[in-house]
Amino acid sequence: MNAIEIKNLTKNYGTARGIENVSFNVEEGEIFGFIGPNGAGKSTTIRTLLALIHPTSGSATIFGKDCIKFAPEIAKEVGYLPSEVFYYDNMRVIDLLKYSASFYKKDCTKRIKELSEIMELDLKKKIDDLSFGNKKKVGIIQGLLHEPKLIILDEPTSGLDPLMQRKFFALLQEENKKGATILFSSHILSEVQKMCNRVAIIKEGKLITVEKISTLEENTYKKFKLEMKLVLDKNYFKMNGVNNLEAKDNVISFLFKGNLNLIMKRISELEITNIWIEEPDLEEIFIHYYVKED
Amino acid sequence: MNMFLHELKAYRKSTLIWTCSLISVVLLFLAMFPAMSKDAADFKKMLDNYSPALVKALGFSFDSLFSLLGFYSSVTLMYVLLCGSIQAMNLGTSIISKEVRDKTADFLLTKPVSRMQIMTAKLCAVITSLVITNVFFIAAASLMASVVQTEAYDYKIFLLVSLPLFFVQLMFMSLGIIISVLVPKIRSVLPISLGTVFGFFILSMLSSSNGDTASRFITPFKYFDSTYIIKNSAYEASYSIVAILFIVVTIAASYIIYSKKDIHSV
Repeated sequence: MNAIEIKNLTKNYGTARGIENVSFNVEEGEIFGFIGPNGAGKSTTIRTLLALIHPTSGSATIFGKDCIKFAPEIAKEVGYLPSEVFYYDNMRVIDLLKYSASFYKKDCTKRIKELSEIMELDLKKKIDDLSFGNKKKVGIIQGLLHEPKLIILDEPTSGLDPLMQRKFFALLQEENKKGATILFSSHILSEVQKMCNRVAIIKEGKLITVEKISTLEENTYKKFKLEMKLVLDKNYFKMNGVNNLEAKDNVISFLFKGNLNLIMKRISELEITNIWIEEPDLEEIFIHYYVKED
Repeated sequence: MNMFLHELKAYRKSTLIWTCSLISVVLLFLAMFPAMSKDAADFKKMLDNYSPALVKALGFSFDSLFSLLGFYSSVTLMYVLLCGSIQAMNLGTSIISKEVRDKTADFLLTKPVSRMQIMTAKLCAVITSLVITNVFFIAAASLMASVVQTEAYDYKIFLLVSLPLFFVQLMFMSLGIIISVLVPKIRSVLPISLGTVFGFFILSMLSSSNGDTASRFITPFKYFDSTYIIKNSAYEASYSIVAILFIVVTIAASYIIYSKKDIHSV
């Protein structure tokens, strides 16, 4: 059973680009990543799912119901955390959360307390006085307090310190174990990698691919940069899976895709002074997908 | 109900301030009445020196000026109406636009409520605020009138000339609402509401100095002519119907536009 089904979703903003023929499904119970650079159409897709904007053509369903027609009904089961959170300034945190809870026909008092303890948020403070990160926490609690079956997160981690991010991810994983489906949009690949089963990659309004994270990882490159005592013939690294080989004085850099043990063995035979092994950034992954498409 | 109460609470301060200012205006003007009626003869002489057009534009009319009702309806209410209209237009323009401005639209619109319900709750809250303002205003005005009266006056007519405040407010509120659903992003409400209300106010002054009846349909300030109300103890049917139609059509259109509107992220 699919929690979300998106079929040929298109949204035009006059001349500006929106999204074009985006289709993918999110299965119930999975953590689904949605990645792409800024302005790729992630938010447009998500906002359509939430019926904040209306599609030009195509459709989307959540739990089998059309997301525009049945928006209020669907919203009962959906928790949404926008990328930028600004709430009614004049309220205290607890007032806002109670207001938020009042939309759902359940008692959320216990849950509010529980979540605010996990996120270390002072409920008595005025929202006005909160830092950006703390406002984000209000957003997180607001999105989770009614125990939604589908959690939609639009770049949720910006503004949270690493410790809080970890707590937040743990919280999400727990919700997921309880059965919640999570749609997680981000432009940071590593956080998606940590959390998700599958990802959809979107660029310039078009869906490029939907992949399992494991497949994606097999296909991704690692960036190597070595600094050596001596200048080395760069042909030393001429082997399968090495690309973009560059040598400058005693620094060699290249991209590697394949069995990491092979390359590590090769490196271990060298006298090196420094080494950098980096994940390729999103842009490089996209390049990879563009190459594959062409 | 939760949205209604939330909205009502949000307007609490502004309702209080506007109610107080309306009451101050009426108290101030009515307090001048005893002095005015005493010097009636002198005052009349002074007005004779002004050009008739100017006198009309200022809202004075010779026959009615020196009775309590005449003074109240022609001079006092004109300024009360002006203030009240700004209040109503402010409220109307903010109800939808403030969610966009404060970036709370995402919060509210992803809750399990339809946009119709949101609009209804907000509309009810605004109307309630206006009703509260009117109730306190009329109470204060009645009280002050009974204090300063020099001779008996018809209280029913007093109410009849006071109530148009509410009707004109409803018209400006509707106008504000439709502006707020039509304009994608309103940075600040005040310039829009002040501009619109003063624009219509100036129009109403112009139309009263040239005595044209058709132009009375253009500005809400001219829909409820107090001279007519005092004379007939009734409102003019044609203007009342147009006023009602205007309110119903703008509100209905606002509902439709709002339910189809795209809410963009900011």
